[in-house]
Amino acid sequence: MKKYSDLEYLKLSKWERFKYRFLSFFAAIPVAIGNLFLGIGKALKKAGLAVAGEAKDIAMTFVNGDWKTKLSYLFMGFGNIARGQVLRGLLFLLFEGVFIAYMILMGGGYLALLPTLGTKGPYQMTERIEFMPGRFREVVKTVTYADDPTIHNSFKILLYGVLTIFFIVAFLYTWRMNVKQNKIAEGILKSGKPLKSGKDDLRSLVDDQFHKTLLALPLTGILIFTVLPLVFMILVAFTNYSSGHNGGETGLFHWVGMDNFRTLFSWDVGGVNYSATFGEILLWTLIWAFFATFTNYFLGIGVAMIINKKGIRFKKVWRTVLIMTIAIPQFISLLYVSKMFTLNGLFNGFLMDLGITHTAIDFWGDPTLARIMVIIINIWIGIPYLMLIATGILMNIPADLYESAKIDGASGWKQFSKITLPYMLFITGPYLLTSFTGNMNNFNVIYLLTGGGPHVNLSNGAGNPGDTDLLITWLFNITQKGFGEDGAQYYLASVIGILVFIVVAFISLIVYNLLPSVKNEEDFQ
Amino acid sequence: MKNKNQLPALILLVIGLVVTAGGLFLFINRFVPMWSFSHKYMTDNAIFAMLGILGLFLGIVALLLARSLRKQGQEVPSDTLKQHMGLKATARISNTVIYVLLVIISVIWLAPFFCIVVQSFRVNPTGMTRYLFQNPDAALKEGLTIRFGLDNYRRLFAGDFPRWYLNTFIIAVVVAAVQTIIVLCMSYTLSRFRFKLRKPLMQFMLILGMFPGMLTMIILYQVLKDVGLAGANAMPGLILVYVASSGMGYYVSKGFFDTIPKSLDEAARIDGATRAQVLYKIILPLAKPIVIYTVLTAFMGPWGDFVFAKYVTGVTPEAWNVAVGLQQWLSTTTNISENYTMFCAGGVVVAIPVVILFMCLQKYYVEGVTGGAVKG
Amino acid sequence: MASVKLTNVKKVYDNNVVAVHDFNLDIKDKEFVVFVGPSGCGKSTTLRMVAGLEEISGGTVEIDGEVVNDLQPKDRNIAMVFQNYALYPHMSVYDNIAFSLRLQKMPEDVIYSKVTNAAEILGITEYLMRKPRALSGGQRQRVAIGRAMVRDSKVFLMDEPLSNLDAKLRNQMRAEIILLRQKLNTTFIYVTHDQTEAMTLGDRIVIMKDGFIQQVGTPAEVFEMPTNLFVAEFIGAPKMNIVKTDLVREGNRYFVTPCGAKIEVTGEKGGLLNEKNVKGGPVLLGVRPEHMKLAFERGENTMSARLEVNEMMGSELHLHVYTKDGARWIVRVPTIDLTQEQRRSLVNGAQVYITFEGKVMHFFDPETEKNLIY
Repeated sequence: MKKYSDLEYLKLSKWERFKYRFLSFFAAIPVAIGNLFLGIGKALKKAGLAVAGEAKDIAMTFVNGDWKTKLSYLFMGFGNIARGQVLRGLLFLLFEGVFIAYMILMGGGYLALLPTLGTKGPYQMTERIEFMPGRFREVVKTVTYADDPTIHNSFKILLYGVLTIFFIVAFLYTWRMNVKQNKIAEGILKSGKPLKSGKDDLRSLVDDQFHKTLLALPLTGILIFTVLPLVFMILVAFTNYSSGHNGGETGLFHWVGMDNFRTLFSWDVGGVNYSATFGEILLWTLIWAFFATFTNYFLGIGVAMIINKKGIRFKKVWRTVLIMTIAIPQFISLLYVSKMFTLNGLFNGFLMDLGITHTAIDFWGDPTLARIMVIIINIWIGIPYLMLIATGILMNIPADLYESAKIDGASGWKQFSKITLPYMLFITGPYLLTSFTGNMNNFNVIYLLTGGGPHVNLSNGAGNPGDTDLLITWLFNITQKGFGEDGAQYYLASVIGILVFIVVAFISLIVYNLLPSVKNEEDFQ
Repeated sequence: MKNKNQLPALILLVIGLVVTAGGLFLFINRFVPMWSFSHKYMTDNAIFAMLGILGLFLGIVALLLARSLRKQGQEVPSDTLKQHMGLKATARISNTVIYVLLVIISVIWLAPFFCIVVQSFRVNPTGMTRYLFQNPDAALKEGLTIRFGLDNYRRLFAGDFPRWYLNTFIIAVVVAAVQTIIVLCMSYTLSRFRFKLRKPLMQFMLILGMFPGMLTMIILYQVLKDVGLAGANAMPGLILVYVASSGMGYYVSKGFFDTIPKSLDEAARIDGATRAQVLYKIILPLAKPIVIYTVLTAFMGPWGDFVFAKYVTGVTPEAWNVAVGLQQWLSTTTNISENYTMFCAGGVVVAIPVVILFMCLQKYYVEGVTGGAVKG
Repeated sequence: MASVKLTNVKKVYDNNVVAVHDFNLDIKDKEFVVFVGPSGCGKSTTLRMVAGLEEISGGTVEIDGEVVNDLQPKDRNIAMVFQNYALYPHMSVYDNIAFSLRLQKMPEDVIYSKVTNAAEILGITEYLMRKPRALSGGQRQRVAIGRAMVRDSKVFLMDEPLSNLDAKLRNQMRAEIILLRQKLNTTFIYVTHDQTEAMTLGDRIVIMKDGFIQQVGTPAEVFEMPTNLFVAEFIGAPKMNIVKTDLVREGNRYFVTPCGAKIEVTGEKGGLLNEKNVKGGPVLLGVRPEHMKLAFERGENTMSARLEVNEMMGSELHLHVYTKDGARWIVRVPTIDLTQEQRRSLVNGAQVYITFEGKVMHFFDPETEKNLIY
């Protein structure tokens, strides 16, 4: 599409300008998507080159290194010890020892079973039990891992298999570091300088390498409790792990490849229409996230502005009233308010007493009404927080911007739309994005208010979805109850979780690239 | 009144007075019948609403009146002054509108909490009702007396609730301590140090955050079960899970640290401090607001975690936290009819300390949000 | 003993932007060296590399003969005063100054004597118990200097310390820094963008632009013998007049022909031109405003000009004139040399005549911008 130069743009009429900006916005989206893939391609290429570079470096170090270096390829840390860096050397050696021991004792076994996720599952066994002298009965018993250690447990196999792979990666990285250190040490010694001693290392841990010390604990926590489970759950999407096949007592599960994805995108599997359900819930999730975010945003700004207006007194009182609602645990507020609006609830009672209605309004029973209520109550929850943020920003807008606008003759509304709003949008752009994606995964509000219901329109959908269900609450219900002989279908939950991630990531990346904050930083400084 | 502009205020004042007086009368009439009439139109809720809104309205109007009365001693306005005062009049009216709006907003926001406090004191009936103070059809139903008292609270403390409260309190304290340390380590490092993996690390955590948190719940529960930290021993398990990944919530704290000038770090390093000494001698004393903010948010978190706690603790009531326990009371209709008012009492007991704590530390919370959340 | 030697020092940022190219400098013990140049020229970056606050991408920095590239700032025995003072806000003035001494685990009585000594020299003894936010800009500046002073370090680094002060305070502090230098008697490296500070404070000046050193020399050297056009225009206020004209060689004599006049190059410069056998041709001619002369009637070697702006500076007038060929000149005229009538005639559009002597000229190559003589 045609790109206008600055002077040409200035000549356009207001309508033409709007058209131009509108079209360029949408034209930019495919470009942004294209750039995204280009970026991924470039990153992959860079990674490939890096790996190749590393391999070459490893080979060269071996060829050029002295005997200490060469021995270090087999015995990690040997080079360090031989050159006097005992502390480092011992640590390397210890790591190697632990790794080898682990692989022999556990890791190797689990790794071997990983492709099949176990072959010998729990089985039934009949036993003859003497329940009275001379009288026997045949009892069927399920033999599991707890009774017979040779039985495989798919869950453990997958979990420890992944853990082993992590461990292997860590080992390779450490081994590489070991090789590199040998190379650097040789270089330093050759130039006549001394090597860092153990004491130097310890000292640098609280100084220039302090960041490593500080990050060690948080990153380990994240690695073990977030990354590892996530990798596990992503892999589960390619298995048939469910409560009916939980890998232990109820039977092994195995790889099913892309089957689950195919099921989800299919229109009819055994009378259950997966992709239609998914589509509908996705649509509502997006609508909900949009309204939840933007109603809160603009109303929050509005409230902040009227409290902040000159001439309004007791500013602190108004703010405190709103801030108090942040303090109260959300689950209490949400749970209570949801009960307030039931057929027998306070609100209906209030309406009926005032004579406004004669029968109770079924707020949670009518799908459309339930959706509207959810959004409204979310406003009640969200405005105080947004008001705080908006107040903070409003106070930071330089006053002389407004003064100059007033002199130029700008009315109150003009001041708002030309100064306040752009400034706000710029500063809170990233916040809006995270708020939007956060609302897409806003479990608490929906679940506590409606539990996902009412189940009016989507009742024949998979997993018993409700009209206010978000993808994530739908996911939760599937992990709780499930349906069919599989029980709670964890694999389905994983698949949905992955798809949620893809949608969120997609939207985030595109919007982030289109956000003015990234482009126009200088305008505001 | 000498000034024409005070006429609207005066009218509003009179209306407010009349309505408030009427409401007061009807309210008293409930208990000391002076006049009987059909209940259909005037029940507690309605009276109450009138009282509340209009009474406050009266206050505002009185204020405005007082202010304009103070300006009584002014000279006869010239032409320009008259114009000015015309402006002031419109400002005053729009301000009045805003005050009304603010009052309505305050009422709406506080209403649910008022209701929950009232219902927590209602001893009979214990189920969910359509009314706050009195059933309009009470006369028609037999044997249904509405009583208020402290019974709910007594029942609350006789049951499992104290156990739940203690559990949650311990979890909250431990989490507050450990999570603060972890978050501050992470955000300080990301703010101050420039190392090669810094940007990739932040992007990685951003992507991690895009996965729904629900996903990891299942497997974490299984692992905890294997290690024996679920069911009855769920508390250490819960604490572990809460704090382990808390490093990902560095955003606000990092924004705050970014506002402390780096030249302070540099001056200290030139003066001979190691980076560790810079952190605890120079930066931490200046970071009091954000430390308190982090402690506060970390403390408030576990009180409201309902999903994961329920998943992990299963059906061992002694191990529940308050969220799971209270939710249990509202989970089935029989439970509701028995425990609804007790739920309200429980809600009040849970909310009050947290609110008080929050109010005391409000200043720091606000500073944290406005300082860090939008600059980072 | 604290000499500082920078050899081939280079600074490249992550996005391959080169901030400092090949910086070479030998700073003698107890010398006061000033890095001066416009914003973004790399002077602060170089200073920070000496301090250890920036990684050195290439080359070596030696303090007292020891290569310090890999040393942490605290091990380099340097002290630094920052542009925004960087005082620790939560500590009193006393604690601010004592901070580094406490880190070295000095006994408190020694610390007391050192701090009070420095406070007395700087005149801040009565503020010792106050917090930085209760001090004015100038007082904070002194505390920052005090903090650096007590360390008895080898090298004293100052990064635009006077930039945040108002003009009057700046002049005052400049004088105090000179006094301070005499008292402290160590090596100073001072960074500024103000050429006046550079000229008054420095033993030697290093002029930088875009990461390159333009010239290193004493104030007199850079003023009288600028090696290129940038230095010539940067040093001295108002700026040197630069005009395109021709250098004409007639045998052993050289002439310039700006706007109709023909002025011979006399004195030392004429001799140097001969020595270097400089050919004639187009040149950029430089004459400082203070060397220009004003006349009210045509004379020998004068150029006819029109007055555009008349700036009254007090003891002299700065006249902005333009000659017929469009060239612009600034002429500094002491007011005491003019009669009332002459002064009144100097209005916008007035006709005046300007000239200069043969010995005050500078010549620059129009393409390389280098000084033809030096």
